[in-house]
Amino acid sequence: MKLRKIAWRNIRRNTRRSILSMSAVAIAAMTFVFLFSMIEGMKQDVAYNLQTFVTGEVRIRHSEFEKYKHLNPLHLGIEDYTGLTARLEEMEAVASISPRIKFPTAIYKKGNTYRAQGQGVDFEHEAEYQEIAQYVVKGRLPRNGENEVLVATGLAKEMNLDIGDNFTLLTQTRGRGMNAITFKITGLSHYDFDGLNSSFFQAPIDRVQYFLRMDNSVSEILMKLKDDYSAEEFAARLDSELAGWGRPQLEARMWKDISQTYSFVMMADAIYFIIALMFFLLGSTVIVNTMMMTIYERRKEIGTISAMGMTGAEVVRLFFLEAFYIAAIGSFTGVLLGIGFTYPTTIYGLGFSEAMQGVDFEMSTVLRPVLNLKSTIFVFIYSTFIASVASFIPSRKSAKVEPVEALRAI
Amino acid sequence: MNKYSQKLVLSVLLIAVGTLVALPAAAAPDETAEQVIRKLEENQVHETARSEGKMIINDRFGEKVTTFKSWAEGEEKTLIEFTSRQERGQKILRTNDEIYLYFPDAAEVIRLQGAALRDSVLGSDMSYEDMTGGKGILDDYRAELLGTEAVDGRQCYKIELNAKGRGVAYPKEIIWIDTEMYVTRKVHMFSLSGKLLKEMRIQDYTTQNGKTFPVRFIIEDKMKRNSSTEFVIESIEIGADIPASRFSIEELTW
Repeated sequence: MKLRKIAWRNIRRNTRRSILSMSAVAIAAMTFVFLFSMIEGMKQDVAYNLQTFVTGEVRIRHSEFEKYKHLNPLHLGIEDYTGLTARLEEMEAVASISPRIKFPTAIYKKGNTYRAQGQGVDFEHEAEYQEIAQYVVKGRLPRNGENEVLVATGLAKEMNLDIGDNFTLLTQTRGRGMNAITFKITGLSHYDFDGLNSSFFQAPIDRVQYFLRMDNSVSEILMKLKDDYSAEEFAARLDSELAGWGRPQLEARMWKDISQTYSFVMMADAIYFIIALMFFLLGSTVIVNTMMMTIYERRKEIGTISAMGMTGAEVVRLFFLEAFYIAAIGSFTGVLLGIGFTYPTTIYGLGFSEAMQGVDFEMSTVLRPVLNLKSTIFVFIYSTFIASVASFIPSRKSAKVEPVEALRAI
Repeated sequence: MNKYSQKLVLSVLLIAVGTLVALPAAAAPDETAEQVIRKLEENQVHETARSEGKMIINDRFGEKVTTFKSWAEGEEKTLIEFTSRQERGQKILRTNDEIYLYFPDAAEVIRLQGAALRDSVLGSDMSYEDMTGGKGILDDYRAELLGTEAVDGRQCYKIELNAKGRGVAYPKEIIWIDTEMYVTRKVHMFSLSGKLLKEMRIQDYTTQNGKTFPVRFIIEDKMKRNSSTEFVIESIEIGADIPASRFSIEELTW
């Protein structure tokens, strides 16, 4: 109890120096509250984009599709997809389903050719799966059964087309022949995920099946699961059940196994953890320096209290407590400042549209950091711990001060 | 594909069935490459023709058969209409060096140009670019006689063709021309760097009214793995009465 009081009093004896030491830790903590929030936001953003637009939480495809995907193997599809989706919808774990046909295509308009990526979707399913209405910035969604199309703003701008205009697209059919069809633009879409804004369009799945000669097949079925279910466990279970359903040629895989993007973000997370360690150590050097100076300045005092009966261990604890208080206050202040600085960005987001142009990465152009336990409590504990441990070394020096030697200096 | 091989492809498709080949002519042992090619081209008789045939595409995913009807007038006007279930009603019109595509579900006729000409015709080993061209071989290529070689048991002139300019699909080709029949037995098509891009082998010719023309040949795109396309003409009517309007864009859509 006395040691804590003495330590606290000592900190206040040189307020400026104590504040300087705290500031170093506070700046490091504040920085990492923001950076960990950024990386958490990035993780959630990439996960959402992958699960909504690319892989689903769990995806069913023909097991050979991936091997030949560069050849657009539409014949390696999911036959009688309506039968399969009906069965999937009965499963307790499944929250929503998105059957899709993805196909590369060439669009012919006014003598010009544009390369684009088409996607056949069931707009009724997509209303729930990707809440697609929120991405329509002009016009309306296409209707199933009609030759209508929802075009990304970037593609519409490139082709100089607008609502009500038609365009003809030419692509390879399931039978590896060619076919063309004319669609009417009923809506323009814009996504935060910039990869979908430049050359992307969506058309009713039944019309895409017709002109690609797909019969009742699709190229993939994406699924989102209810919160309580693990994608890994569900994918493994479904994968084994597909054979029992008479569909041994199909496979079910979870999203993390399909895309490497999330792995990169997780890797970045781990790297940030190491960088944070370096930052906190760097911040701690100021505390270490302060402690070393303090010990040198208080040699006389250390000698006196030692002569009065304070043991070496108690002297070490006294200086360690001083360092700990400085680190804890600095970390706490840094975390508070970090939250204050980060919070507005969690609402308004940070724009990366120019930086993300031409980058093949499933991250949105507007990134919203996410404040969570890791970016707040963890940063506080982590930075306090690192700074305290670092200051333990100079604290130990205090125990080596000989009372007689120290008093001789008087 | 050089201008001759393009014509050959077209003739088998009856895109330019005027590419009839004369019956065996006496082979002069001291002929130059130019003389051999001129004889080859002299065998090409420009007439109207109507025919039916099929295209058998083999690739890593299996075999696919596409049937077609075609009409041709001279060397530069051809119309193909596909009749197989998947492609029924689709048409390709070639007039001079222009290629137009008609699809029943498309509101507009597609005129192919630029890089799109290099796309495959219905997934076959033949590109749309292979269907263009109409001038003589010697207008576009310098020919050099490399010697004689046997192809499928037939003695052939082996002639190397090097493009004079850039306006051709293949900068270099080697063709094997039968020394007796003056018909092509094999063609190799190369890139600018000398890489073999395509090979065409003519497997069968037929004779009608004293003329000889190819009815079965195979094209292999060497850039594709395990891929080949066989063209088979099942019936042909030379000198058919075909209205000139058949080859117009306006009539393409009916």
